[in-house]
Amino acid sequence: MTDIFVARTKNKESIIKNKDQGESNMNILASFCKDPKGVSFQTQKHNETIILFLRAHFITNLYWIIISFVLIVIPLIIAIFSSVFNIRFFSDPLISHFTTVYVLFYYLIVFSFIFINFLHWFYNVFIVTSERVVDIDYSDIVIHNIAVTKLDHVQDVNYTQSGFIPTLFNYGNLFVQTAGTEINFEAPSIPKPREATHIIGDLIGKT
Amino acid sequence: MDLNFGEFFQPVLLVKIVTLLIIGFYIIFSFVVFTQVKAMGQILSLPHAAFIFKLIAIINIVLALSLFFGAFVIL
Repeated sequence: MTDIFVARTKNKESIIKNKDQGESNMNILASFCKDPKGVSFQTQKHNETIILFLRAHFITNLYWIIISFVLIVIPLIIAIFSSVFNIRFFSDPLISHFTTVYVLFYYLIVFSFIFINFLHWFYNVFIVTSERVVDIDYSDIVIHNIAVTKLDHVQDVNYTQSGFIPTLFNYGNLFVQTAGTEINFEAPSIPKPREATHIIGDLIGKT
Repeated sequence: MDLNFGEFFQPVLLVKIVTLLIIGFYIIFSFVVFTQVKAMGQILSLPHAAFIFKLIAIINIVLALSLFFGAFVIL
């Protein structure tokens, strides 16, 4: 009997390809992700798998989101005031041309402010792999710093969670202490710090 | 040729030059942002992130260039 409908089967090669690359199971804005797929970093080894992906809690962005909102609204408030009080300062063609350019430039700077702050949050990540701890810092627009240590160099891991807002949203600072002269690692304001501490602690125990 | 310094360097012209210079610095800054976004995209690969951020950085450059040429024409 002839088939009326035959479901499409995926090509075997494409399945293997997807398995190797790992289809992403991670939300792009996630702050805490166990065994993320589709995430990799530059110095990652072939057999090295990412166990934990951390970045600051999204609520930590609130201060610059509020500042941005205020900056966006300020020219609108000035425009409303000038129309309500009938200020004729901007009616001069030359001044209105300059004002147009400055307002557009102002919004371009606000756009950059938002973009840079978002990048600062987005690329400040802390990764725990099967072999190493990787701390990627994007502290300024022209500075980025990458620190790496092997898991067997990690001596202690602990966290602090203090304050009303960190307790409410369950985030805190994670500290990874390393042996000898190597630098200590800090992952500030990460969500579920206790769970992250346990995961790293278990990994240290395994190695 | 009679060139009056006071007439040539009018305040409006000076403001225009300063404005264009500042926007010019912003264009350089936007190129720095693009370079940094590209570098971070190579350091950390996250799904779709590099493409989206590069696109935003390019839009920023295009807007800055448009503003520069716009200001050059309008002012």
